[in-house]
Amino acid sequence: MDGPLPLALLVASLAFAVVVLVYVVLDRTPDWGLLGFAGVIELGTLVLLGVAAVQVGDVSLSGGGKVTLFGYLVAGLLLLPIGFVWSLAERSRGATAVLMVAGLAQAFVVVRILQVWP
Amino acid sequence: MTSIRTSTRSGAGRALVAVYGVFALAATARSLVQLGTKASEAPLAYTLSAVAGLVYVAATLGLAEVGPAPRRLAWAAVGFELVGVLTVGTLTVLDPELFPDQTVWSAYGEGYGWLPLVLPFVGLAWLWHTRPRH
Repeated sequence: MDGPLPLALLVASLAFAVVVLVYVVLDRTPDWGLLGFAGVIELGTLVLLGVAAVQVGDVSLSGGGKVTLFGYLVAGLLLLPIGFVWSLAERSRGATAVLMVAGLAQAFVVVRILQVWP
Repeated sequence: MTSIRTSTRSGAGRALVAVYGVFALAATARSLVQLGTKASEAPLAYTLSAVAGLVYVAATLGLAEVGPAPRRLAWAAVGFELVGVLTVGTLTVLDPELFPDQTVWSAYGEGYGWLPLVLPFVGLAWLWHTRPRH
């Protein structure tokens, strides 16, 4: 996949997880800043989905490979919103840590997208 | 009388449910793709992936307190998960040819940073920690 977007998304997702870890340690509840950070990652994932949809015709990828690729891209769009819904329903360190799980899972999804892309 | 927390989806349990949810999504989606596109290549491994996916879904629902008897569901699912990862892990280490393709429990979950091995122990410990006491 051309361009720096996947790598930027990977770094941003890991950075998001680290920021959430700081929030957990300081016992801070998620705020608008964290939501904005997640929004940027979400937007980047949406752009990545568009780029993949445009470029997938030019690469040799089996039918199963395409399903896997777009499965990961759609999962990447769902992880953070679902994480926020599950996290914000309660105010506790454990609930905030949910966002760290979502950030790490998001990073894993980007790594898998890079592995699946030929 | 001191109040004892018995909810499995509260506090640290909320993050645990999130981890189980990610595994439920990953294992189920993976098995659906495998069974839908290349079921004949390694039917045993892919069926096992599907079983693992269902176990993670059940554990997630149980720990998130969804359904009529969530605690019982969680105990059963996490217990099955522990037996599954230990059995499949041991079999795949002893005979790597047994499953031609990777499953989430192969080599004790090596492909997932051994999280599949650690997770059931954490799950059982959490269920024990939050058990109803009088």
